[in-house]
Amino acid sequence: MSRVKVFFNSSVNSKIVASLAGLGLVGFVIFHMLGNLQVFEGSDAINGYASILRDMPILLWTARVGLLAVAGVHVGLTLRLALRNRQARSVAYAARRYRFASVASRTMALTGSLLLMFIIFHLLHLTAGVIDPPALDGLDAQGRIDVYGKIVHAFSNPLYVGIYVAGQLVLGLHLSHAVSSVFQTWGIEHAALDHLFKLAGPGVALFVVLGNLAIIFAVFLGLLRT
Amino acid sequence: MKFTLRIWRQGGPNERGGFVTYLADEVSPDMSFLEMLDALNQRLIAAGEEPVAFEHDCREGICGSCSLVIDGVPHGPDRGVTTCQLYMRRFADEKTITIEPWRAKAFPIIKDLVVDRRALDRIMQAGGYISVNTGGAVDGNTLLIGKDEAETAMDAASCIGCGACVAACKNASAMLFVAAKVSHLAMLPQGKPERTRRVMAMVQAMEREGFGSCGNQYECEAVCPKHVSVRFIAMLNREYLRSGILGTKIPARSDPPHGESY
Ligand code: HEM
Ligand code: SF4
Ligand code: FES
Repeated sequence: MSRVKVFFNSSVNSKIVASLAGLGLVGFVIFHMLGNLQVFEGSDAINGYASILRDMPILLWTARVGLLAVAGVHVGLTLRLALRNRQARSVAYAARRYRFASVASRTMALTGSLLLMFIIFHLLHLTAGVIDPPALDGLDAQGRIDVYGKIVHAFSNPLYVGIYVAGQLVLGLHLSHAVSSVFQTWGIEHAALDHLFKLAGPGVALFVVLGNLAIIFAVFLGLLRT
Repeated sequence: MKFTLRIWRQGGPNERGGFVTYLADEVSPDMSFLEMLDALNQRLIAAGEEPVAFEHDCREGICGSCSLVIDGVPHGPDRGVTTCQLYMRRFADEKTITIEPWRAKAFPIIKDLVVDRRALDRIMQAGGYISVNTGGAVDGNTLLIGKDEAETAMDAASCIGCGACVAACKNASAMLFVAAKVSHLAMLPQGKPERTRRVMAMVQAMEREGFGSCGNQYECEAVCPKHVSVRFIAMLNREYLRSGILGTKIPARSDPPHGESY
């Protein structure tokens, strides 16, 4: 067996690498949300922010490729672990009661897979503009890509509001277990601080989800308009 | 008291199993769960039927033999007790109780409620020896161990190897068991010389046996009859990281000196 195979045959190693990649994704999700909050400063701010990103194609594409690789590592490793876990309990219990394990912790593979579908949809929708592009040419007065217009167009439609709200709920569930879990995976535990580590997951999840929901509902309720 | 029991019956490792319903009446509230099953078996034997096979030995919560999933919870509804220490007064009269074996690919069923838990022994074997000199016993206080360390090591050492952690885990992971064994020796001076190699060997053996991975769900701690804490799993992860970084000074492919397999 190759060294790489031997390394990843250890579930402990796999989990450490998967959680490193996961933490990379957590960082992205937070900055993505904070960046997008600029819609509240008006179309000029967010379109300017988007065009700054696009003016640095090398940086943008490095980030995109890097992010794709990190996501690939995370999905690949976690799904492999999840598959092996299913094999480890090949016969299910007839009666099953959980005493402690949270719903979020038991549904990581499900929420992860739904998240993957949501991310692909989101990229096709708002990044690539394949799904439901706005009717106009998509440029603002200064000839920049009209991100503000895209957001307002998307979330004026109850269908997309529904999909994105569902996506946020799934993201919230995944994050609420994931972020707390990372401490344990890395062997970080402490008699007094453990309860803070437990709160970190739901805290980060709430922060990200509320930020994103604010944008969605601000448009839907007519607070942000073109 | 009177109970309806739904018990998993399976003739042998490769036979099809299924639930069979029995009526247990004239149960005293002071009977232990196993005594209630003993009484049922006496009746089955008297009627010329095959008694229900289940494991037990000490019946005082120290050997780790007893192993039943009772209404979906390993060792039943009370926390911090083994099945042999669970009493029928804990159940509502006339209740239906479902009794299943530990379920994990690494614990194949031998018969009825008895599973083969030798996978745990093989993990222990992979852990190998600790260096203790033979000869006269050393003076009590030559080897000083801090009170806290001794207590924590003892908390880990209290694992009785019952496998309830595996049975409770959605992933059938043995991490709590391995964590208890690794931490208990890694913390004490007697276990330090082989510390780096031991954790690697035990985790490797764990993967070989086909247990799942830890999802940090902590269902194991909730059912552990000895309250072994999941903080030991963090300690195991730490030990493992440490070994990965330091590596082992012992050549990986030397001949096993005493026939240990690692
Ligand atoms: C925004 C995207 C995502 C973020 C921020 C994220 C983050 C994380 C983090 C930090 C963990 C914790 C690792 C640990 O236990 O220490 C985790 C676990 C997990 N993730 Fe993700 N993840 C994302 C997307 C996905 C996707 C798309 C999938 C699958 C298709 C997925 C599947 C899983 C699974 C199954 C686990 C549990 C692994 C285990 O405990 O064995 N995740 N995630
Ligand atoms: S850790 Fe607890 S549940 Fe697991 S084998 Fe040891 S005593 Fe049993
Ligand atoms: S029979 Fe020994 S612990 Fe239950």
